[in-house]
Amino acid sequence: MAQPFVPTVNDLRVKMCYICREEERYDEHPQSPVVWVHPCNCTLVAHEKCLLNWIQSSLEEPSRKNKALKCPQCGATYVLESDNPALLKILNNLNASVTLAGKVVFACGIAGGVAACASGLYFVLTSYGAYAVQQFLGKEMYDVLLSDDISRWPWHAFINLPLIPVSLILSRTKYVKTLPLISMFYCWTTTTPIAIPGTIRWRLPVDDYPFQPILTWPPSPAMVTAMLPLVSRGYHALIQRIEHWAMGIPSTAPRRIGRIELALADAGPLNVRIAANFLEDGEDADADGAVIQAGANGGQNQQQDADAPARDPAAAAAETVRITGSSLGRYIGGALLIPRIASFMGEFLFQLSLRSPMLRSFLAIRQPLNTRRAPNFWSLMNFYQPKTADGSWRQVGLGVRIGLNVLLAGTKTWADADPVWWRNSVGLGIFIFARDCLRILHLSLAKREIETRRIKSRTFAGIDLKELDLINRPPTQ
Amino acid sequence: MSTRRLQKELLELKNEGAPAGIQLLKGDDFQSWILSIEVLGESLYKGDKFALEFRFDSQYPIAPPSVTFVVNEQFQAPEHPHVYSNGHICASILANEWSPVLTVSAVCITLQSMLASCKRKERPPDNDRYVARAPADPRRTRWAFHDDDV
Repeated sequence: MAQPFVPTVNDLRVKMCYICREEERYDEHPQSPVVWVHPCNCTLVAHEKCLLNWIQSSLEEPSRKNKALKCPQCGATYVLESDNPALLKILNNLNASVTLAGKVVFACGIAGGVAACASGLYFVLTSYGAYAVQQFLGKEMYDVLLSDDISRWPWHAFINLPLIPVSLILSRTKYVKTLPLISMFYCWTTTTPIAIPGTIRWRLPVDDYPFQPILTWPPSPAMVTAMLPLVSRGYHALIQRIEHWAMGIPSTAPRRIGRIELALADAGPLNVRIAANFLEDGEDADADGAVIQAGANGGQNQQQDADAPARDPAAAAAETVRITGSSLGRYIGGALLIPRIASFMGEFLFQLSLRSPMLRSFLAIRQPLNTRRAPNFWSLMNFYQPKTADGSWRQVGLGVRIGLNVLLAGTKTWADADPVWWRNSVGLGIFIFARDCLRILHLSLAKREIETRRIKSRTFAGIDLKELDLINRPPTQ
Repeated sequence: MSTRRLQKELLELKNEGAPAGIQLLKGDDFQSWILSIEVLGESLYKGDKFALEFRFDSQYPIAPPSVTFVVNEQFQAPEHPHVYSNGHICASILANEWSPVLTVSAVCITLQSMLASCKRKERPPDNDRYVARAPADPRRTRWAFHDDDV
């Protein structure tokens, strides 16, 4: 006996999409053929595109997430097939666990914040600032410039240090465009070292102040600070280009929607959700966590309806990554980790440089100060004592020259010390680049996963054929 | 997508007629429709006529429509444990249970049967508190659904 006739979606005389309610007769041949699916056990059929659109929007909505793959009528589970490599799963899990860590940080932060209010927020911020300086400039410079002894601290430490954590956190939002680096160390380059008995011999200069050359390697802090906006702009442009290439966003897209979202995902008593969408010029992108989204009309999709832009997979991928990846704790925790990361990467580079003379000279690694026989410390304060023989104008002129030189090239101490800050900065740069590359890889894998989604179409097995309007009725027995 | 789908729904309403007890009062654009709704047969709302306003955005039917009872000189919101005096409705099919398989007339029928099965005419217990600070669009409310019979 022949197999019983089991019709599929292609055997229907008239198909009506249960989502858009468009109909298609079997003898019609639309200009661009559309894929129809029968994904469940009842009689509902749909355009694959409409169904994927609905599934994606449900997945993004926490309250609907668990019903995203269920047929609303018969409750059968849709079978979704997509290109979902193990790497994407790992990245998703990594992202989710970092978010979880962020939530822990946030909860600890609340607890810590209460404690800080009691014991003095200023003290907590300042301690963190001192820690950051130690991490970023290295232990040696920390001992020379700041040390653990608060009574020796220069006056500006009490302003600069508490501002460090604040500016680190602000630098992760889009509103403030300073890089954490600037506030971190700029004022320390010109700081007079505090005397440490036993290790430093003070020598009063007589006539020839040792002006520091401004063009040196590693570049002077002033040079770095001056170049930073340029480098950062170039870097953002580069990373955005890589991202557009990876995500298939045409570079001619005129405007983008920048988006920051500080959010604690899911519901709960701590449901802080601060979202901001704003339009901005194409090149003004931020590398920190915020996701660039293709404008609704910038995508490559050709849609028939003018009023409803079809969802662009790049935007949907960004949405997915953002939803699993955004939390307030993650922002703050991430920001406060920057000095530690810089220090770790700097140490890593230092270890590498033991094997590579080239890297060693690039990082300009020097002996630590206190192992040298005669530390050649010059203190601006000690030097600048008016000499009776000179006219006062000459003194003023000299003072200005020294001031400018210190401003541009840092103090002699700074120039002589092992430039831990330099390898930390380079290391932080490498870290940021690696992180951005990972983020783009994640985004592009997520986008690919969404693009390659297919819903498995089933036959109408188990359904009374009389309910179906078929093109060819099976011979009735 | 929304315009074409609403065109289809409008055509169906006009060709096949609205379900019993339901009448399209205003459907001349694709942003907002008004339908009148009466409960047929024996019920607490016998002889009452209510009006439902549907507001659609461009994401319809992926996103649910915003549905409220009209409250003005002519119409009042029914006194029902799931209907607030400002016309907002606490019904899961308009929030997390929404599905594009539902249509305007299907929503009307569901709400009609919600009214028909009502046993006691009363406002939700938190009515005053909710109405005082309700968002303009009920879809922005985070509803907690108390029972499954709606």
